[in-house]
Amino acid sequence: MNLLRETDTTLLGTAALTAILGITTIYSATFHTEAVSTPLYAKQLRFAIFAVIVALAVVYLPNKLLYGIAYPLYLSSFGMLLAVLMWGTGEDVKRWLTFGLVTVQPSELAKITTIIALARYLGDRSGDEINLARTVLGGTCLTLIPVALVARQPDLGTAVSLGAVLLPMLYWAGMRPLYIFCMVSPLLSVVFSFEEVWRVATPFVFGAFIILSTAAIHFLLSRLWFTVSMATANLSAGLITVYLWDQMRAYQKARILTFLNPESDPQNTGWTIIQSKIAIGSGGLSGKGFLEGTQTRFEFLPEAHTDLIFSVIGEELGFIGALVALSLFLFLICRALYIGYVAKNRFFSLLAIGLASMLTFHVFVNVGMTIGVMPVTGLPLPFLSYGGSSLLANFTAIGLLLHVYSNRHEY
Amino acid sequence: MSETDQEPRIRGLVAVVGLLFTILVLRLFYLQIATSEDYLRESDDNRIDKMRIKAPRGLIMARDGEILAQNGAFYTISLIRSTKGNFEAAVNALHEAIGGPPIAGRYTKKSSSIRLKRDVDFRTVAIVEEVLKDEWPMAIEIEAKRNYPADRLAAHLIGYMGLPQEQEQAADFLGITGVEKLYEHTLRGIDGVRFVEVDARNRIRRDFPDEEKPSVSGQNLVLTIDYDIQRAAEHALPDSVPGSVVALDARTGAVLAMVSKPAFDPNIFISFQDQEQRLQVINSPTEPLLNRATKGTYPPGSTLKLIGAVAALETGITDTLSTFEACAGSLQVGDTTFRCFKRDGHGELNLLEAVETSCNIYFLHLAQLLGMETWRDYAQRFGFGESTGINLYPEDEAGLLPDRQYYVETEGWTQGHLMNLVIGQGSILTTPLQVARYTAALGNGGHLVSPHIAGPAPATTAIQDVSDATLDVIRRCMRRVVYGKRGTGRRAWVADVEVAGKSGTAQVPNRNDDAWFVSFAPYDDPTIAVAVVVEGGGSGGLVAAPIASKVMDAHFAQQRSALLREDDRPLSLAVADTGNGP
Repeated sequence: MNLLRETDTTLLGTAALTAILGITTIYSATFHTEAVSTPLYAKQLRFAIFAVIVALAVVYLPNKLLYGIAYPLYLSSFGMLLAVLMWGTGEDVKRWLTFGLVTVQPSELAKITTIIALARYLGDRSGDEINLARTVLGGTCLTLIPVALVARQPDLGTAVSLGAVLLPMLYWAGMRPLYIFCMVSPLLSVVFSFEEVWRVATPFVFGAFIILSTAAIHFLLSRLWFTVSMATANLSAGLITVYLWDQMRAYQKARILTFLNPESDPQNTGWTIIQSKIAIGSGGLSGKGFLEGTQTRFEFLPEAHTDLIFSVIGEELGFIGALVALSLFLFLICRALYIGYVAKNRFFSLLAIGLASMLTFHVFVNVGMTIGVMPVTGLPLPFLSYGGSSLLANFTAIGLLLHVYSNRHEY
Repeated sequence: MSETDQEPRIRGLVAVVGLLFTILVLRLFYLQIATSEDYLRESDDNRIDKMRIKAPRGLIMARDGEILAQNGAFYTISLIRSTKGNFEAAVNALHEAIGGPPIAGRYTKKSSSIRLKRDVDFRTVAIVEEVLKDEWPMAIEIEAKRNYPADRLAAHLIGYMGLPQEQEQAADFLGITGVEKLYEHTLRGIDGVRFVEVDARNRIRRDFPDEEKPSVSGQNLVLTIDYDIQRAAEHALPDSVPGSVVALDARTGAVLAMVSKPAFDPNIFISFQDQEQRLQVINSPTEPLLNRATKGTYPPGSTLKLIGAVAALETGITDTLSTFEACAGSLQVGDTTFRCFKRDGHGELNLLEAVETSCNIYFLHLAQLLGMETWRDYAQRFGFGESTGINLYPEDEAGLLPDRQYYVETEGWTQGHLMNLVIGQGSILTTPLQVARYTAALGNGGHLVSPHIAGPAPATTAIQDVSDATLDVIRRCMRRVVYGKRGTGRRAWVADVEVAGKSGTAQVPNRNDDAWFVSFAPYDDPTIAVAVVVEGGGSGGLVAAPIASKVMDAHFAQQRSALLREDDRPLSLAVADTGNGP
C-alpha cells in the first residue's frame, strides 16, 4: 500500500470522525420526532460512505487530469446553476436539480469547481502578473458569475461563501496586501458610513477612515492617480450608502437590521437565534448529556439537524463538546493550509488554500450564527449538518486535498 | 510554489484563522461558562410550564346539611396555543365540524391554552375526540360548574355565579350576588400548581408529580337556613305572587327562611346555553332578581300598631282595661275623616280587644295622646328606619321612618300624618326583614336580634325602657289575634303550639292592598318569628296568616319528630348500660 502511505490518513480520519460526530448529533436531534422508514442519521451515514468513496476516487485521479478539466468542470457547474434557475425544485427558493431518484444541489458542487477554476486561472499567472488589474478583474469575474447565479436562487449565504475564497486565493497567489486592502476598502466604506452602527459619530468615523485609508494608500504606493481613484471610490461607496439608507422604506430598513441583528426580531428569525443561544448557553461546561438536550428534544431549536446542529452539540456536550468540534475543524483547516504550503505545484497549492478558505468561512459563519455573532445565512456546518450534497462537496474537498498531498512533490 | 517565498503569507493566513477561532471560543466561553446559569434558567422556563389546578369550590349547605350549592362539571374545548394562523384554522375546522353559532374563543398570547367553546354537549365532545384531535392540538377540559340542586330555593340568599364581563371565554366563574359573592374568598379555595414539561408546541411531555402543589378546597359554608322551613315557605307563597317570607330564630336572629317571590333559578346564570332565559329573568317587569325580603320596602299596615301599643303602655296613656270613645266606623280628626275597616264600628274596646280586632279608631285616639316624637322614638327602638346590619349582598334597605321634619319639608306637618303612621300607613316604609326582627323583639322579651345567615350569632341588644309588663300585655294581645273570637289572625293557628300574631292590610298606590302577617311561637318562649307580605294579596288575616302558619308548622313538625327521637334514646342507652355494668 505505497499509495496509502502517500495519502494524508490523519486528514481523512479527522474528516470521517467529524462526519461520525455529525451523524451521532443528527440522531440526537431527530430521534424524538415521529418514526420514518429511514431515519435521517441512517441516510446521512449512507451519504457519508458514498462521499468517502468519492473522496478516495478523487485522490487517485491522474496527476494532470484535474488541471486539464478545471475549466470544463467550471462550465458544467455553470450550466447546472443555469438549469437550477430554469428547472430547479424547492418551495420558495430553487436550489435543487432532480435527476430521476437523485436530487443534487449544484451550488454545493459549484463551490468546488469555482475553487478549481480559480486555482488554475491564478496558478497560470506568475506572482507579478497577479498584481495586474486585468488578472484581478479576470479572477473576480470567474468568481462573481457563479456567485450571481446562486444569489438569484436566491441563496445569499452560499453565494457569499463562493465569493469568500477569492481574496485568500489572490493573497496566496502573490497579490500585494495593499491591493487586497484596496479591494476591501469600498466595503469598509459602507460599514464606516452606516449610521445605524455609528449613530451621531458617523461623519467622524467615516471621515477618519477616508483620510487614513487615502494617506496609507498614497504613502505605500506614491502614485497620485491611484490614490485619487481609490479615495473617490471609497468616498462614493460611503455617500451612496448614506443616500440609499435614507431613501429606503421602513420595512426595507427593518429587513436589513434584522439580518444584521436577528435578536431585534424575537418573533421570527430572532427566535431561532435566541433559542440557539439558550441551547448552547444552558449546556454549560459539560452539557446536559447526549439525547438529554431539552431545547433540542422539545423542538425549541428549529433546524436542529441542519443549520443549528452546532447548538445541539453545545447543549448536549457543553463547552467541552463545542471545543472538541471546533478543534476537529481547526485541525482540518490547518492541515489544508499545510498541504497548500508544502505543495510545489502552483495550481495544487492554490487549490488547497482555496479549500481551506472555504472550510474556514463555513465554520466561522455557521458557528458564529449559532452563538449570535454572525447574521443568519443558512450555511450548513461542514461534515456535521445533515445534507448529502454538502457532505459530498466537503468530502470531495478532502479528496482534492489528499490528491494535492499525494502530488505535493510534483511541479 | 517555493516554501520560503510563501512563509510570511502562510503566517498571515494562520493568523486570520487563529483570530476567527479565538472569537468563536471566547464567545462560547461567555455563553457556556460565564453566563451559563442565565441560559439554563431560560431553557427551564422554556420547557417547564405551570398549570393551574382549580380548587373545588366549597359547598353551601342549609343548617341541617341539605346541599344548596354543589359542584358539577361541564366540558370545554380548548386549543393549545401556537400561531394566530393555526388558531384561526383550528377555529374554522371546529365550526365546520359542529356547526351552530360562531366559536366565541379569541386568540390570546396570555395563556398556553385557549378555551374555544365552553359547556359543550356530548356530541361536540365526541366530534372533537374522534375527528379533530388528530389534526389539531385540541383538548377536552373538564371545568367545575356550580350547581344548585334545589333550583329556586333560597335563590336570592345564595345568589348566583357568573363570569366577569369582557373575558367570558377565559375567566373563572365568580360569585356575583348573595352569599356566593359575600363568601367568595372562603368558598373559592386556593388553586394548586402542576408543573409539566412542554415542547415548543406546548404539548405536555412529562409530569412532575413530586413538585405539584395541590389545591386547597374551598371551605364549605353552612347557612342558618332551615331547609324544611325554607321549603315550606317557598311552597306557601306561590311563584306567581310577588311577596316575601322571613323567618328568624326569635332568640338569636338566625335566618331560618328567607323567601322572595317571584324567584329565579340560579342555575341559568352558569350555563353557556341559557342566554335567553337569563335575559328573560333580568328584563322581567316582576323583578325576580330583587330580594324583596331585604330590598323590598313596604308600608307594614296594622302589624305596626304594636309600636303604638308599646308606647302607650310605657307612657301610661292606656292600660289593659281603659277604653277610648267607642268605634263607630269612622273618626273625624281636624279636616280628615279616618275610617275603620269595619264600617259599622267595633264598639267600645280595650287594648286587648283593639289589637285582636285591629280597630283603627282605637289607635287613632291613642295616637292623638301619644304625639309624633314619642311614637317615632319607640319605632326607632324596634329597629325601623335603619338597616338591620345583616351581612348580605346586596345589602338590605333601611326603609323610611319619617320624622316631623320630613313632613315639614315635604307636604307640611299635620296631626293626620301621625294617625297614618300609627296604623302603618302613609310614608313609612319597612322591609320584611325589619318587620320580622320587630316581631321577634316583641316575642323574646324586648331583645333586638341581629339577623344573620351564617356563623355564630352576633350579640342582641336589649331595647331600652320597655318593661316586661308591657311586653307581656303585647304578647297577650297578639295571642288573642290568633285565638280570640274576633281575632283577625285565626288562620295562623298551628297544632300543639300557642301562636301569637298580628295581621296587616296595607294600602299601597297602584295595586290591591298588601297582605301582611307577623307572628311568633311558642307564645311564652318563642323560637321562631315570622313576617309575611303578599303584594296585592288583600286581607292579611286571610291571605298572609295561613302562609305564616305553614312556615311555623314546618318548624314545629321538626321539633316534634326530634322529641320523638329523643324519647327512643333512653331505651337504647339502657341496653348499653346493662352490657357495660360496673
